Amino acid sequence: MFLDGYGPAILDGAWVTLRLALLSLCLAFAAGLAGAAAKLSGTRILVWPATAYSTLFRGVPDLVMMLIVFYGGQVMVNQVTDALEWDYVDLSPFIAGVLTIGVIFGAYFTETFRGAFLAVPAGQMEAGRAYGMTSLQVFMRILFPQMLRHALPGIGNNWLVLVKSTAIVSMIGLADMNFVADQAGRTTHQPFLFYMVVCLLYLCVTSVSSWTLHRLERRYSVGVRHAEF
Amino acid sequence: MYPLIVDDIHKSYGDHDVLKGVSLKAAKGDVISMIGSSGSGKSTFLRCINFLEKPNKGNIIVEDEKIVLKADRTGALQPDAVQLQRLRTRLAMVFQHFNLWAHMTVLENVIEAPIHVLKISKADAMVRAERYLERVGLWKFRNSYPAHLSGGQQQRVAIARALAMEPSVLLFDEPTSALDPELVGEVLKVMKGLAEEGRTMVVVTHEMGFAREVSTHLIFLHQGRIEEEGVPREVFSAPKSERLQQFLSGNLK
Repeated sequence: MFLDGYGPAILDGAWVTLRLALLSLCLAFAAGLAGAAAKLSGTRILVWPATAYSTLFRGVPDLVMMLIVFYGGQVMVNQVTDALEWDYVDLSPFIAGVLTIGVIFGAYFTETFRGAFLAVPAGQMEAGRAYGMTSLQVFMRILFPQMLRHALPGIGNNWLVLVKSTAIVSMIGLADMNFVADQAGRTTHQPFLFYMVVCLLYLCVTSVSSWTLHRLERRYSVGVRHAEF
Repeated sequence: MYPLIVDDIHKSYGDHDVLKGVSLKAAKGDVISMIGSSGSGKSTFLRCINFLEKPNKGNIIVEDEKIVLKADRTGALQPDAVQLQRLRTRLAMVFQHFNLWAHMTVLENVIEAPIHVLKISKADAMVRAERYLERVGLWKFRNSYPAHLSGGQQQRVAIARALAMEPSVLLFDEPTSALDPELVGEVLKVMKGLAEEGRTMVVVTHEMGFAREVSTHLIFLHQGRIEEEGVPREVFSAPKSERLQQFLSGNLK
């Protein structure tokens, strides 16, 4: 039988891992852009919270943060629903996982994007303004595409670390592939086999990612003259 | 009607007054050269014309349309955003460091603002791009990226990008200062051609040859004021102010 009958469960777990990673990435991307924009705004009431955010979330272990959000978050949700006299809302491990990983990696993305924005020469935006572009046009048509080129290597690194970090949500009871493999390993007394399978699955995801990122980097570095040795 | 009137521009950074009331009037076909030592305020003045720098005082009138200004908290004058955008499409700038958009090809650089700012059709923008890239002799490089061109070629593309806006006035901010000496000539040749076509130009430059031979009016700025101005040949052959005499003797050495 396919992995002692645990095959389908592990594939389900892999699907959970992938969804978790992709949703977290979306959240982290948005949080990172917002954080970078706030840090670069030069307005103190925006810079200060963004700095606190990127410092705090990069400085606390993922696991600790996860447990705080899962248990602390539930308490907070309960208090809010009680106060509003709503029905009990259960913070599912999946949602808690997406929130925690998304917010933690948002802090890393904040720094990635901040550096990338700063790497775009001011003259590029100035030319946009001088030719009558609106601020939104300057951002969308000049700053963002050029920023992305500088950010892609960092995005790639963060993504790989993020995929691997999803394994910690098994700690709060989400049936991701790590969780399933752990259970299967205990039941069948073949932990090595199941963890090897999970290893390969993670490796599949990260290899496909690396290949995709490489393509994206090539696409976004058009017009860049590479150093020659 | 004057394509461009700039009246009594003042600009200061903190306590430092960079411009202390500089004015100019450009009639159609005028080529105004602005010279002066570095720190005289000539680039700042040019950048005030299209509000890349916000002047503290003064008026700018483009084709009889006066820019409405309101002072903000810091005392800098803020133009109305929509009016400013329209004004900037009438004044096309060529920068010292070209500032071509690095992620776009030569062709994309030239059609970008006509399509997205002037809102003309892509077909019309392509017609303009071909006309003006041919004009600067770079149509065959249309699919190259700026990083693969020489400085002189990049600046010629930047001139084509400016021309594609079909502006009333071309502003040149030290267009040859960042170029290797052997590349200066090709850019000056294009600029001379534009002057002969009767285009209205304001040129901040260190090229005394261009200022003398091509421009119709010369302005010498010193410490934020117009120290001397007039017909270029007359001013060059008989400078009245001592500052200009010193400046020219320093430059001609």
